[in-house]
Amino acid sequence: MNLIEMNSICKSYRNIGFETQVLNNVTLHIGEGDYVSIIGPSGAGKSTLMAIMGCLAQPTSGEYILDGEEVGKLNDRKLSRVRNEKIGFVFQAFHLLPGVTALENVTLPLVYAKQTPGNAKERARELLAKVGLEHRLHHTPGQLSGGEQQRVTIARSLINDPRIILADEPTGNLDSKNGIETMKTFDNLVKEGKTIVLITHDSEVAQHAGRIISILDGQIDSDSGVHRERNTLSL
Amino acid sequence: MRIFKNLGQALRGLRLNRGNTVLMTLGVMIGIASLTVIVAIGDGIKIKVLSRIANMGFGPESFSVIAGAGRMFFARSQNTTSMTLEDAEDLLALPTVRLVVPRQRKRLQIINKKEFTSTRVYGVTPDWQLARGWKMADGNFLSDGDLDRSKRVVVLGATPARKLFKGKESIGKMVRLQNNYYEVIGLLEEKGLTESGYDPDDRALIPLTTSMSRLTHQTYLHSIKVVTLDASQVPETMETVRQVLRRNHNLSVIADDDFRFITPEGIMQWVTESEQALNRMLILISTVSLLVGGIVIMNILLVSIRERVREIGIRRCFGARRSDITFQFLFESVLVSLLGGLMGVVLGLTISFGLKRFDVLPTHITLEPFILSFAFCTLIGLVFGIHPARKAAFLSPEESIRSQ
Repeated sequence: MNLIEMNSICKSYRNIGFETQVLNNVTLHIGEGDYVSIIGPSGAGKSTLMAIMGCLAQPTSGEYILDGEEVGKLNDRKLSRVRNEKIGFVFQAFHLLPGVTALENVTLPLVYAKQTPGNAKERARELLAKVGLEHRLHHTPGQLSGGEQQRVTIARSLINDPRIILADEPTGNLDSKNGIETMKTFDNLVKEGKTIVLITHDSEVAQHAGRIISILDGQIDSDSGVHRERNTLSL
Repeated sequence: MRIFKNLGQALRGLRLNRGNTVLMTLGVMIGIASLTVIVAIGDGIKIKVLSRIANMGFGPESFSVIAGAGRMFFARSQNTTSMTLEDAEDLLALPTVRLVVPRQRKRLQIINKKEFTSTRVYGVTPDWQLARGWKMADGNFLSDGDLDRSKRVVVLGATPARKLFKGKESIGKMVRLQNNYYEVIGLLEEKGLTESGYDPDDRALIPLTTSMSRLTHQTYLHSIKVVTLDASQVPETMETVRQVLRRNHNLSVIADDDFRFITPEGIMQWVTESEQALNRMLILISTVSLLVGGIVIMNILLVSIRERVREIGIRRCFGARRSDITFQFLFESVLVSLLGGLMGVVLGLTISFGLKRFDVLPTHITLEPFILSFAFCTLIGLVFGIHPARKAAFLSPEESIRSQ
């Protein structure tokens, strides 16, 4: 069964009388454990696609089934629960809460979880250790380097053990060394069985994924298909 | 509990946005401080008025008739020349009246060699002491003989006595009032300042006849104090007094009284009315100041939300519901107004204490402002926080996460 099933998704924004069609009839299925890159030039609709995929926005029309649940019609309460339990976000600009320690940033999703596990702090520590930040637990984002901040966001995305990791240009603000580190972390997560959707305009980064979907003008331009050998350089 | 977590996040938000927190706190603080001061001044004035009235020497069985039309302490005309000693004699003849004390009054300089002071000089009859029940500290009160012979004698209250004689023997000494010398024959027992600063001891008493011939040079009375046999007779006696005076003054049926009554009951009514007016003013001023505080909170919260759009977006991405965001900002606003309220009460009490300490205004400190401000602050926080909180909650998570 597909984890993500998008059928004929359209999204348009209305702005002072103008209607801008951002996504046009996108149909996309992603299976459990897949590693997918979505590439395309800026303005192609990548971020909007990710927003819909991450339940941050509702499609104008079409059907979106996430983990067997039609999420296009859920109310705010249920949609928030889906975001909290099933999706982990990693952003280009990190989006950590300023002035708050790494440890507390990682536990943020637990604030809104249905039940906070008793060992929340312990789990956050483990995750930060996993990304190599055990010595930076009580540092605030301002005291961390870009690469370290990105590793905190990855730890944060994993705290609720979500099925899907949505990463929007995760290497965009990093130097090449940290970029490679981050991509290695994603590779490892796929091995652990996570589904990863990576949005990028960098074709080199996209190569890490087993499947590359190219978006152009709000439509799927090309799809390399599911059964493609990973880490090969052909496109 | 989810709501406690929101409370925790609100506390963190306030800590992280210190600048805005301080500004919001300031807005409420000033509002509550002024409320506290106003309540303290209001209570202080109320007590001052009440104690002044208590010191007018009214028993429940007595009342005063003051010359001149008007109401209570407020004369519509000054220097009315209608009330005379004949009126007083007619009133004494009434069956329910025990005593009458006709009075003249004038504020004058009283001089002993190089010492002088200004005091209230009353021309009274010997019955004054019976009506007031005021004991002597030294010497004797005015006698019938003093009255009959218009003697130049004076009984001093404790305040002018102290100022003129500085604790030295005063009985038998001469003091000057206008161009005449008066012998000091007695000293009134000291009553002491009232809580509000009114000094009942600041007075001097001379025979009414002397006052008429040497001080005021007129035979008209300022007022007549009437003491009835029993408190229950006050209303009927007042009515009879009214009829007697109207007849004596030849007032036609349609003419208004040319005198007015001051009664214990009338005073109570007057106090109640002034209290109500004062309270209305208090409520009005407090409402305005708290409204201002609330608007300050709302504006700063709205600005703060614009600054924190990204934070809201992040929270929404990781599972915060609209209600979570609403509660977080609502808690922030309530906490800020409570904090501001607490600081405002402390500031207000300090100012009230200072006003009293340095004799600027009478203030009285009660528990009221604490309870009031606690209730008001919670209310302000809720009312003025709800709009910004809802606004924050209804931001689109997608757009807020993208905002820079």
